[in-house]
Amino acid sequence: MAFAPPRLLPLPAPAPARCAVSARHHGGRTAPELSGPTPRVVVVTSGKGGVGKTTTTANLAASLARLSLPAVAVDADAGLRNLDLLLGLENRVHLTAADVLAGDCRLDQALVRHRALQDLHLLCLSKPRSKLPLAFGSKTLTWVADALRRAPNPPAFILIDCPAGVDAGFVTAIAPAEEAVLVTTPDITALRDADRVAGLLECDGIKDIKIIVNRVRPDLVKGEDMMSALDVQEMLGLPLLGVVPEDTEVIRSTNRGVPLVLNDPPTPAGLALEQATWRLVERDAMTAVMVEEQERPKKKGGFFSFFK
Amino acid sequence: MAPASIAISLPFRLLLPPRPFRGRATWPRAIRATASGDTSGVAGGERKVALERRVGDLKALVASVPPAVASIQRNIGPNFVAGFCLGIAVLAAVARQVIIRSRERDNRGSVADLVRRGQLKSGQRGTAKLRTYDDPFNNPLVKIDEDASTAQMFGKEYRLAPVRLTKEQQELHQKRRSRAYQWKRPTVFLREGDSLPPHVDPDTVRWIPANHPFAAASSEVDEETAKQNVYQKDGVPSRVKAEHEALQARLEASNDVTKLPSNSSMQHNERPLRLSGKPFGNLQSSEFGSELENQDIEPGKHSCDESLQSNRLEGQ
Ligand SMILES: Nc1ncnc2c1ncn2[C@@H]1O[C@H](COP(=O)(O)OP(=O)(O)O)[C@@H](O)[C@H]1O
Ligand SMILES: [Mg+2]
Repeated sequence: MAFAPPRLLPLPAPAPARCAVSARHHGGRTAPELSGPTPRVVVVTSGKGGVGKTTTTANLAASLARLSLPAVAVDADAGLRNLDLLLGLENRVHLTAADVLAGDCRLDQALVRHRALQDLHLLCLSKPRSKLPLAFGSKTLTWVADALRRAPNPPAFILIDCPAGVDAGFVTAIAPAEEAVLVTTPDITALRDADRVAGLLECDGIKDIKIIVNRVRPDLVKGEDMMSALDVQEMLGLPLLGVVPEDTEVIRSTNRGVPLVLNDPPTPAGLALEQATWRLVERDAMTAVMVEEQERPKKKGGFFSFFK
Repeated sequence: MAPASIAISLPFRLLLPPRPFRGRATWPRAIRATASGDTSGVAGGERKVALERRVGDLKALVASVPPAVASIQRNIGPNFVAGFCLGIAVLAAVARQVIIRSRERDNRGSVADLVRRGQLKSGQRGTAKLRTYDDPFNNPLVKIDEDASTAQMFGKEYRLAPVRLTKEQQELHQKRRSRAYQWKRPTVFLREGDSLPPHVDPDTVRWIPANHPFAAASSEVDEETAKQNVYQKDGVPSRVKAEHEALQARLEASNDVTKLPSNSSMQHNERPLRLSGKPFGNLQSSEFGSELENQDIEPGKHSCDESLQSNRLEGQ
């Protein structure tokens, strides 16, 4: 187990974080400050399926790329590949890591570049019906991450979309990772799986784990029908990277093949994911969580509905 | 002809009845009304006349029905044509439905299918109009004011609750988990049912069911080659190169026009006979591209090259 300092300290030096906060008040920062050596290899995982790993990966990657931080999004979900769809790249994935292993193409040829975001690349582990060579399953992504690190222009981030469960796909996906983003929904089944996954990650030496609580419905939280993000945090004991509300725009953005963070005008979930990206880049965590609407007479839909 | 006419008269029976039926539906009510009038025995004369007239009408109607049927049978010629056309139309509709159903079953839910059905717009997919960047913590729509513990988002104001998790609590949770989940990441994957190789520690093995996406039959490349393939920065990918070289070697070796080499190491290259007779100097010369392109000598490789190119265009 590598007890590297950055892994031990998920909340590094609080002082710079404070500075960042105060800087925010004076408005108009244009980019977060990149913390730590690159490329940073981050696995997005959850244990339970369908909680939003792929959505999170696509949005973090797109957001990073827009901040001119080159990102490679790796779809390690060999069985249920989806990341290509969310990025709108499904027609362009011809070569995968399996082809690279077999010597049919080079790694740089298997990276699919996004049309609009020059700094965003997608790498798929294998084609849905083809099978990955068994023997180096667990080593494939370690090699890939290492090769990307040694490339002439290495990416700043390698984001790995982990498959559900804790079987061979999970083992493969976490193998090269140094940090983890643990996605969970505020319900007890997802939480139990998240706790287990956090335990396995820690056993593997990945100590820098942050949670994204996805699909939160403030109205239900207020009526105490749903756990709040703070309840979730209390149960897992991990720093919060973001709290993403339930948002119908998520499905629309999936259908359009454009990550939510690129939506104009911004949407609540897209904005939350964008904030999460900034925190990820700065190795920051949330210091406060939005809980409820302040009692203040307001127009019902607010600005957002006006823009829609 | 007889069975056909029976079959065709069916739609006509279905089509014709409405008129007589409508008539019959109104008649009985009139008859019953007059019948009740009869029993009361009031103003019988007028009603009797009316009744008789109506019964006569009814008889005439009944009498007229057989000729109608006869006239249908007489006019069977043009009707048959019409019926035939109708039958064809029905068949065509059914066939079309069947075809559509089966096609849907083939690629239902695929992106292409959704685009075809208009549920997705193909033009829009993946093309993003980039928004100019705003600080997500401080912009006209969002202001997170952590000191005052409020946040304004999309015109609403929210109360912020501070995160209470301390370092100590974090460490307690870590300790709890490390007790609860003791795990060592497996480093070797083996297919269920395979035997354990001698040098492998059973604790590091992950057994994989045969239907798992990783459970490829057996890999053609050994670990060292696979690793080299991943690390290769430039030049021709190793297998593509190896195939070219093997093909070249075979071409040089086979001077005999009629002999088809059946080398098992080249599964892809089921070469047409006549090609081996042609004078080939270098496979990688332009001759290779121009003359063999359409011969489909390496189907797998050609498709690969195409996709290489499409990826490379983007990858520059
Ligand atoms: N914040 C959200 N609001 C609404 N729907 C969401 C949200 N996050 C995810 N979803 C939906 O949940 C489903 C599963 O998401 P996905 O990212 O594919 O999960 P996973 O990769 O963990 O299996 C998708 O249909 C997605 O649209
Ligand atoms: Mg997924």
